[in-house]
Amino acid sequence: MSEWVIETRNLTKEFRRAQFKIPALKNADLHVQKGEFVALMGPSGSGKSTLLHLIAAMDRPTGGEVFVMGQDVGKLSEGAVARWRNAHIGFVFQSFNLIPVLTALENVELPLKLTKLGKSKRIEHAKKALDVVGLSDRLHHAPRQLSGGQEQRVAIARAIVTDPDVILADEPTGNLDSGSAQDVLTLLGRLNKEFGKTIVMVTHDPHAARTASRIRYLDKGELLPEGQVPEDWALTIPAKE
Amino acid sequence: MSRHLSLIFKNSLRNKRRSVLTILSIAVSLCLLGVLMALYHSFFHSEAPEEQALRLIVRNRVSLANPLPLSYKQRIAGVNGVKDVMVFQWFGGTYKDARDPANFFARFAVDPEKLSTNFPEYKMSEDQWKAFLSEQTACIVGRKTAARHNMRPGMRVVLAGDIFPVKLQLTVRGIYDADRDNENMFFHFKYLNESLSQGQMDHVGTFSVRLERVEDAGMVAKAIDDMFRNAPLQTKTETEKAFELSFIAFLGNVKAFLLLICGAVTFTILLVAGNTMAMSVRERVREVGILKTLGYTPGAVMGLLMGESVAMSILGGGIGLGLAYGLCAVLRESPSMFTDMSRITVPPPVALIAMGVAAAIGILSCVVPAYNASRRPIVEALRFTD
Repeated sequence: MSEWVIETRNLTKEFRRAQFKIPALKNADLHVQKGEFVALMGPSGSGKSTLLHLIAAMDRPTGGEVFVMGQDVGKLSEGAVARWRNAHIGFVFQSFNLIPVLTALENVELPLKLTKLGKSKRIEHAKKALDVVGLSDRLHHAPRQLSGGQEQRVAIARAIVTDPDVILADEPTGNLDSGSAQDVLTLLGRLNKEFGKTIVMVTHDPHAARTASRIRYLDKGELLPEGQVPEDWALTIPAKE
Repeated sequence: MSRHLSLIFKNSLRNKRRSVLTILSIAVSLCLLGVLMALYHSFFHSEAPEEQALRLIVRNRVSLANPLPLSYKQRIAGVNGVKDVMVFQWFGGTYKDARDPANFFARFAVDPEKLSTNFPEYKMSEDQWKAFLSEQTACIVGRKTAARHNMRPGMRVVLAGDIFPVKLQLTVRGIYDADRDNENMFFHFKYLNESLSQGQMDHVGTFSVRLERVEDAGMVAKAIDDMFRNAPLQTKTETEKAFELSFIAFLGNVKAFLLLICGAVTFTILLVAGNTMAMSVRERVREVGILKTLGYTPGAVMGLLMGESVAMSILGGGIGLGLAYGLCAVLRESPSMFTDMSRITVPPPVALIAMGVAAAIGILSCVVPAYNASRRPIVEALRFTD
C-alpha cells in the first residue's frame, strides 16, 4: 500500500486531432499525502484540468499510472471505475453542473442513490452535507432559484455527501464573484482542516491558490518541480503568508 | 431503478410541450392500433358464443347468389348430429329511403316456429312469440333497430324487394333482445315464398342448421356436403362464425390489410418517438457526463434515459388504450354492416399486446441515442455543446 493518497507516475496524455497528436500532459509525477490541500496552477492549456481528470479516472492516460488510495485506477473496467469514483472521489466543477430539474436536496442525494442506503438515510446525509455548506434553508430550491455561490456550495455538498477520500475541484471559483469565491474557498479550507479531506484544486487565481497548503505549477503539459514557477507567471504570484 | 423514478419523471417533464406532444402522438397511434387489433381479434380470434357455435350455415357451393332447392331442408334434417334445420333467407330490399344508411338493417325470411329454438339467444315475451307465429305477415325486429326506427308492436312496415321483386307488407309483432346481433328483422318465409314468381319459388339462399353437439360441427358439415357432392347443386357448409367472416372477405384480404396498417402505424410512431428521444438525449449529453462523474455506470445512465422513454411511451399507450376502449364503445352502438360489431372491445390480450408495443416503441426509439450518450467519454460529454 502506497503512503500517498494520490500518486502519478510518468502520467502522459495525448489528444488526437485528425492526424495530429497533441500532448496535454507529459510524464507528470505528482504525490499528494492524506489531508493535504494542493493547488494546481498554470496558464490555459498547461494540462491542469487534464491531470485532475486523470486522477478522477474521468479520462484514460496515454501513458503512465495513477494510484489513488493505492488503487491503480487505470486497471479498472468502466463499470468498476464508476463505482470506485462514487465511493472515493468528490468532484467540484467550475460551472457547478447541478441537474436543473432537481432541488438542492435531490441534487445532493443523487450520488447516494448508487449506494445501499435507504431513502431516510440518504435524505439525512444530504441534509447534513447541505448543513455543512450552510444551505439548510435552501433544501427545496431548484438551481435556478439559487445564486452562483449557493449553487457552487450545493455542488460541494454533493461532492462530500458520500464522504469521499479525495475532493477534486476544477476552478471552483472561476464563475463566481469575489465574495462568493471567498465563501467557497473558506468552505474548502474548512473541509480540509476540520474534516481532514484531501483536496486537489485547479485554479488560475493566485488568491484562491493561497488557500492551499501546497502549490504545484504546470506549464505546456509539464508538471514543474516543487517550488518552480513558470517564468512569465513568477511576478503575478503573491508570496504565501 | 426504482430509486430513480423521480428523476425519470422530472426529466420526462423537462420540456413539457414536447413531452405532451410525444405522449399524444403515441396515444393517438396506439388508439388506432388498439382498435385495429380489436377488430382483428373480433374477426379472426374471438370464440363464437355457445349458441352460435351450435349453428352451421348451408349454402350453394358456387356462391351466395345461387340458391338451393327448398327440398334440401328435409335431407339435411336427416343427417346424423343435426337437431333442426331452418330456412334462413336473406331478403335485402329497402326500408323507406335506401340512400340513408341508417335505414339499412338485415332482413331474413325464416321458419318462424324454429327461430326461437335455433336462436335461443333471442329473448322475447311469450305473447309476442305467439303473435309472431300466428300471423303470416308478422315480423319481429331487434331492440336496437326498433329503437333506431321507433318501431313498436302493431306498426306496419313495408319492404320493397330488390333481389326478390315483391313488396312485403309486414306488421311488427315483437321486439326481441339479444346480447349480440339484435338489429335484424325476421318474417315468415312462407309469406315471401308465396309472393314469388314460379321461377324463384321454393328456393333458399341459406339454411341454418342446429347441431346436437358443438364437437360434431366438422363431421356434420362434411356429411352434408358429401350428401350433395353428386347433386346438380352442391353445398358448402360452414360454421356461422366462418360464414360471417366470408362477408368481411368481400372487402378483400382484410387480415393482411389490418396487419399492414398495424405495422405502418407502429413503424411511423417509432420514427416520431425516435426523433424526439434523439433530440431529448442530445440536449442532455452534458448531464450524462455529470452523472458519470458522480459514479453512474454507462449501464445506469442508459437505464435512466431508456426509463424516461419507456415511461412516456407507456403513458401514451395507456391513454391510447383508453381512447380505443371509447372508440370500441362507439362502434358497438353503430349499425352492423358486414359483421356483428355489438361485442367489439379491446380484450385483455390485445391490451397487453398494445402496451407491449408501447414499451417496445419506448425501448427501440431510445436505444441508439441512449447507448451512444452513455458510452461517450466523460470529458467529451462535459465539453459537449448542442
